Amino acid sequence: MNEKKDVLQGTLALMVLKTLQALGPLHGYGIARRIEQTSGDLLSLNYGTLYPALLKLEQEGFISSEWGFSDNNRKAKYYKLTRAGHRQLEKETREWQETSAILARFLASGEEC
Amino acid sequence: MFTFFGSLRAAFLRFANLFRQRNLDAQLSDELESHLQLHIEDNLRSGMTPVQARRDALFKLGGLQNTVETIRDRRAIAWLESFFRDLQFTLRQLRRKPAFVLTAVLSFALGIGANATIFAIVSSFVLRPAPVADPNSLLSLNISEQAGCCNHFSGPLFEDVRSGAQSFSGVAGYFDLVPASISGKGEPERIWGQLTTTNYFDIAQTGMILGRGFTAEEDHQPVVVIGNRIWRRRFDSDPNIAGKTVLLSGHPYTIVGVTPPAFHGLDLILDSQFWVPLGNADQIADQVLPDTRSRSSREYHWLSVIARLRPGISRPQAVAELAILAQNSAAAHSQFEKNIGFRASTAGSLPPRDRPTIILFLTAVSIVALLVLCIACANVTNLFLVHASARRQEMAVRISLGASKIRLLRQILTESMLLAIAGGLLGLIISLWATSALSSFRLPVPIPLDLSVSLDLRVLACAFALTVAVGFLFGFAPAWNASRPTVSTALKGEELVLRAGRFFSLRNILVIAQIAMSIILLCATGLFLHSLKNASVMDIGFRSRGVLAMSVDPRLHGYTPERTIQFLDQLRERVAALPGVVSAAYTDVLPLSMGNRSDGFTVEGRSAPSDSPPSVELYMVSSGYFDAMGIPRIAGRDFTNDSATSPRVAVANERFARLFFGEGSALGRRVNGGGVTYEIIGVVGNIKSRTLGEENRPLLFRALSQSVAGDPSMLGYSILAVYSGDPSSLSQAVRSQIHALDPSLAIFNSKTISEQVRDALFLPRLAGILFGLFGILGILLATLGLYGVMSYSVSRRTREIGIRLALGAPANNVRRLVVTHGMTLVLIALLIGYPVAFAAAKVASSFLYGVQPHDLFTFAFVPIFLSAVALLSCYFPARRAARVDPIVALRYE
Repeated sequence: MNEKKDVLQGTLALMVLKTLQALGPLHGYGIARRIEQTSGDLLSLNYGTLYPALLKLEQEGFISSEWGFSDNNRKAKYYKLTRAGHRQLEKETREWQETSAILARFLASGEEC
Repeated sequence: MFTFFGSLRAAFLRFANLFRQRNLDAQLSDELESHLQLHIEDNLRSGMTPVQARRDALFKLGGLQNTVETIRDRRAIAWLESFFRDLQFTLRQLRRKPAFVLTAVLSFALGIGANATIFAIVSSFVLRPAPVADPNSLLSLNISEQAGCCNHFSGPLFEDVRSGAQSFSGVAGYFDLVPASISGKGEPERIWGQLTTTNYFDIAQTGMILGRGFTAEEDHQPVVVIGNRIWRRRFDSDPNIAGKTVLLSGHPYTIVGVTPPAFHGLDLILDSQFWVPLGNADQIADQVLPDTRSRSSREYHWLSVIARLRPGISRPQAVAELAILAQNSAAAHSQFEKNIGFRASTAGSLPPRDRPTIILFLTAVSIVALLVLCIACANVTNLFLVHASARRQEMAVRISLGASKIRLLRQILTESMLLAIAGGLLGLIISLWATSALSSFRLPVPIPLDLSVSLDLRVLACAFALTVAVGFLFGFAPAWNASRPTVSTALKGEELVLRAGRFFSLRNILVIAQIAMSIILLCATGLFLHSLKNASVMDIGFRSRGVLAMSVDPRLHGYTPERTIQFLDQLRERVAALPGVVSAAYTDVLPLSMGNRSDGFTVEGRSAPSDSPPSVELYMVSSGYFDAMGIPRIAGRDFTNDSATSPRVAVANERFARLFFGEGSALGRRVNGGGVTYEIIGVVGNIKSRTLGEENRPLLFRALSQSVAGDPSMLGYSILAVYSGDPSSLSQAVRSQIHALDPSLAIFNSKTISEQVRDALFLPRLAGILFGLFGILGILLATLGLYGVMSYSVSRRTREIGIRLALGAPANNVRRLVVTHGMTLVLIALLIGYPVAFAAAKVASSFLYGVQPHDLFTFAFVPIFLSAVALLSCYFPARRAARVDPIVALRYE
């Protein structure tokens, strides 16, 4: 079965930050599509949940936004990483890697038993 | 993952966003719109039809409204924003049910008002610190002896402590009650003051608003510190008063200071208005204090003592040192100070002797007030429950439309808080009124008391806490209940068709509690009203109208005893000759003054029956007193020309005669009391001496002419004029007769006998009115509560009843069903409330005069009355139940 996974609580913010780091300024729709594509379409993202997450990141000062125009001249709100956002991304990436390493080790040891 | 500054910044932005709502909403919809367009374009490019493309885009974005809601919540401080919305909504809702709002707010207002008022009393008399600097380090010292607590100090003992105690930075002594007449603006006025050691103000640290306290050299100087009120009233707040001379009982004194307004001595309720160094005692206080020799004996206890703790010394350390001093004193002067001990309490707190009684009384009253509040709360909760249940459908709709339960809870709590706050504000207004009424009330006592009660910050805090507690308590249960309807059934309005509901549901329990509490209140009310009725029809034993009393104290103006008697005789002749005056006589204190001099008495030649001889209240009266007061003379004669030198004679009341001589005649017998032997020359009827509700006490009336010299009255002498006609013009006439004889005399305690009786009735009346109000309020609320619950239960069971009727149940059965339900609740409440009321009555009778604990009338009447009222409040819902039309009920959806 090719069942799509829901986005894990708390990881959406990290994905957004990473996307913005990789692609530079981007509008909400672009971010959503990119996240889906990067996951190899394994992730089911409700686009609606993206906007509260963007707002939260913006309020915390990790991203900033301004209105601009898309490739085909449509007005859209563009988000980009701030300096604090870069730091936060590094920090969260590190934390996430540690967490997943621990979890991987933990699950591996479970198999041996 | 959050950083602290990140969240702080977010919080700030969210707060700021609260005020940019509209613009942000527009931006958000722009953004979402552009998102949709981008998506649709993508979809079109991948080959979808326009309709498909749009639907897919919308679908992937999820519930649009939901997204907007979440973002809104994120954007501003959600609760604050939605609080305003809740507030608006609630106000709109409440406007639609004015009856409910009125009931709730009034209930709360009465409950909170009652509690705030009682707490204001507690705050004023128990919690308020003395008006001095650092009140906690100022102690008031008392002597405790084997016999019990709290005697004054003797002069030498005070010196022992003053010189011996190292824990204190200073110790001061004072004598607490000295009458004097004072000059100044207008007629001379009699006021009360205190004699102090010169360090008194240095130790009390009252802070003068003008001038200073006493210096160490001034002990024998004629200097005086006057109270703020006297300064304002008699000296027009003269800012240059210091250094001016005032006449105190005819002697010139130099004013050196004026106290701040709050200070009227360190005794809680005594209202002292001047202070003079102790060295002036012989001049100013000769009628209340014995001579220097007695004052410096160890036998005579007369000084009150205050002491200031040395910085860094704790109270237990000081108490420990005092205990050692007490042992030393006991060893050195075993004759007088055997088993002596010292007690220290915070100066200006409740007198240690009366403390337990006062606290018990205040606790009882507080409990009653809290009970009323509880009933009010239970009632409003019930009403609210009913309302909330009626709104189940609305709630269900809102939940299914996506409102969160927290949101609903919050909204209902907003409503209850709003009602509670309105009630709290109104309650404060009520207690503002009540405290000012209490403060204006004067006890019928001849010494000055300050009983003013005011709302202070503590009271406001208490009222606020009560309000919040009330709002939360009564809102929470209904809120919880209403916010979890079963959506599917509630939506259809067919809520739990046949379930009659658990018997011990919250609603039923509330009603039971309410009725039980009102039983307790009603019983208390019954007891008080009954005793009040007894008091008002009680035979007080003397004339209750047509006598004018007015006091003077010639001895304060330097009169010798002989001149005093001469003056009184002259005045009596002049007053008796006034038009409208029938006769005139003298006494020292009017009856019903809440207490008078008393002494232990024994019959001459008979050994005392026990250790403590029976206490007898003493009055000083002139000839003609009994006729003037309308006290029946039963045997023997009235006073005639019993002069100061002839053997001391007295008239006893019946109670006295019976107590000491049983069935035998009291005439001609001799009794001892207070070191004097009296021959009894007459017996008169009993009168109420201290309070209206008291048992008759043994009283002894002494000849005024024989007592002025050896044992003068501290409270002056009252001329009693029996009149027919208008007392107000007479009062002026008597006044001018007094001033015709001596214009410098101060006149005080001027009142008619009916005023005196009315004042004496005030306290039982107040208690009766309070309890009556509380009781009526309680039963009203409980009845409303029961009615509400029964109506609600009937409306809930409409379908069930319809089915019953359709299946052929007679209407009677249906009626019985409802009434039985209601009366079961009442019965349970009775079973709970009755024993508690019984126990409470026992407690009440232990500290309130004239309350019989097992008043048959009250305890038989209350349950019957309550059941009748309850039956009535069940009847209407029952009737409605029986009239249910089965067809309508079954169709009812």
